[in-house]
Amino acid sequence: MSRRSATRIATGFGMWFLLAALLVWSLGPVAVVLFTSFKGSSEIYSANAHLLPDSWTLQNYVTVFTSSNTLRALLNSLIVGLLAAIATLIFCFSAGYALARFRFRSSRPLALFLLLGQVVPLTVVLLPLYQIIRSLNLLDSVVGVAMAHLVITVPLVTWMMRNQIAAVPIELEEAAQIDGGNRLDAVTYITLPVIFPGLVAAGMFAFLQSWHEFLFASVLTSSTAARTGPVALTEFATEFNVDWGATMAASVVLTVPVIILFVLLQRHFIGGLTGGAVKG
Amino acid sequence: MTSTQGDLMSSAESTTVTRPKRRRRTGRPVGLMMPALILTALMFVIPIVSTVVRVVGDGGSGLTRLFSTPDFAQVMFNTVKWTVGATIGAMVIGYAGGIVLRAKQIRLSGLWRSLIMVPWIIPGVVGATIWRWSLSTDYGLVNRYLMDLGIVSQPVHWLSDPSMVLWSVMVIQIWVTAPFVVLMVSAALAGIPEERYEAARLDGASSLKILWYITLPGIRTTTAVAALNLAIWALNSFTIIWVTTSGGPAGASTILPILLYQAFQNGDDSLVYAVSILQLAIGTVCAVLFARTMRTDLREQS
Repeated sequence: MSRRSATRIATGFGMWFLLAALLVWSLGPVAVVLFTSFKGSSEIYSANAHLLPDSWTLQNYVTVFTSSNTLRALLNSLIVGLLAAIATLIFCFSAGYALARFRFRSSRPLALFLLLGQVVPLTVVLLPLYQIIRSLNLLDSVVGVAMAHLVITVPLVTWMMRNQIAAVPIELEEAAQIDGGNRLDAVTYITLPVIFPGLVAAGMFAFLQSWHEFLFASVLTSSTAARTGPVALTEFATEFNVDWGATMAASVVLTVPVIILFVLLQRHFIGGLTGGAVKG
Repeated sequence: MTSTQGDLMSSAESTTVTRPKRRRRTGRPVGLMMPALILTALMFVIPIVSTVVRVVGDGGSGLTRLFSTPDFAQVMFNTVKWTVGATIGAMVIGYAGGIVLRAKQIRLSGLWRSLIMVPWIIPGVVGATIWRWSLSTDYGLVNRYLMDLGIVSQPVHWLSDPSMVLWSVMVIQIWVTAPFVVLMVSAALAGIPEERYEAARLDGASSLKILWYITLPGIRTTTAVAALNLAIWALNSFTIIWVTTSGGPAGASTILPILLYQAFQNGDDSLVYAVSILQLAIGTVCAVLFARTMRTDLREQS
């Protein structure tokens, strides 16, 4: 064996080793939560714990769904997410269309303004936003939380929309107008259907951002009526006797929709992430 | 994916700088922009302006109070340590991951990439809760395995030892953000022309030299963008620290956003505004750097 091919094999081996280490680092904690959620409480609080459960049980999931407010919180999260996604699409489609199709004097500052909206720390807008929502009498309501979530989604999705619309040749719209339609017809029957998949992806993306959000949701809600999933999860863990089994089960339940959506729209999701980056 | 980013930036620029002659109509689509603009005004401009007004209005007494808090130096030190540490950690792991995913020997890299993305896509609260459990002193598997391996002799108080806690939460932030760097680096690496590697190999360059003279310069802009994003996220990070430690014990893991939130909870509005304006000042520096990086990126592409 030549020295060169020996080096190559060693490099290959090293790469696979690195990959394995990376996967353990990324997925190890996830495995812990998944397996812990199937453990009984005697096993969870055992001094001699290990990763896999000795006996599998669904007890924690039963607790989550029957004797806690998690189900209500998930429903709230769903409503907030849908409201936020729909409002985001309406706002961002019109703004994205304007940025993609028109050239006007203030388009550059406006575009930059929206992009820089990403850099503003969320905590900085916390108090003023709280006051705005309070003055609208929307504290502790799903509508109020959804409104707050637009702060996160609108700057980013406007950029996604803008790029998708710009990718549709304007000749298509012009052709429709030559055939006798007005501009609105052209947009309704040509542009919207063409970018529909992108629209769905952007909507799901906004939904995910809302589903994740914790800071605004925890400040703007005070009762189970509007509390979202992430907030409910921390409620589990702040009580004196933390039910870690149920907390782990609730974590899994909160993550499953995210994984499903991610698998469905991975391509768009990754594009969106690297395209404009997301608030942490 | 770099191409996504490239598209975004270059097309953003084409709106305004290259000015295609025929495709675009001039006009005043202000009506179309209105909803998003009003919203942005309501959500960003009003908060920022009201912050400035309030701080100026109370004669800077909030700021004075902030600067004279005995813990202020510690909070700033924590913030810097946390930001620098989390950024460097995520960059190192992200680069390793990006290079591994592009290695010729690795098959199914798409699958591995998706799996590595998991910490990034799960909700922040869930990520923090997972770690809070894994790092628990008595029942956590981290201590368990470290003791089995003989690395530590007794359970480590990851989240309750003041000298340890900031490093522990930093690990969580790195765990969450490193996948973003993996993604960006592996995409950027795909954009380096194969000919460059071939030419270097023909010249007999070693792998290390190729890494140093071709790979790293080829993804320089990505490095800058990723580092800036990481720093901004770390500076603005709230959820991970709040869910795991609430800034404690004894303020050992308190950074600026946590301080702001505590003031908010206490109803101490003038302190909230003072921290806000400090965060805004830091954020502005980041924004300027961000805009300049984008510009360099555009120049390199043209």
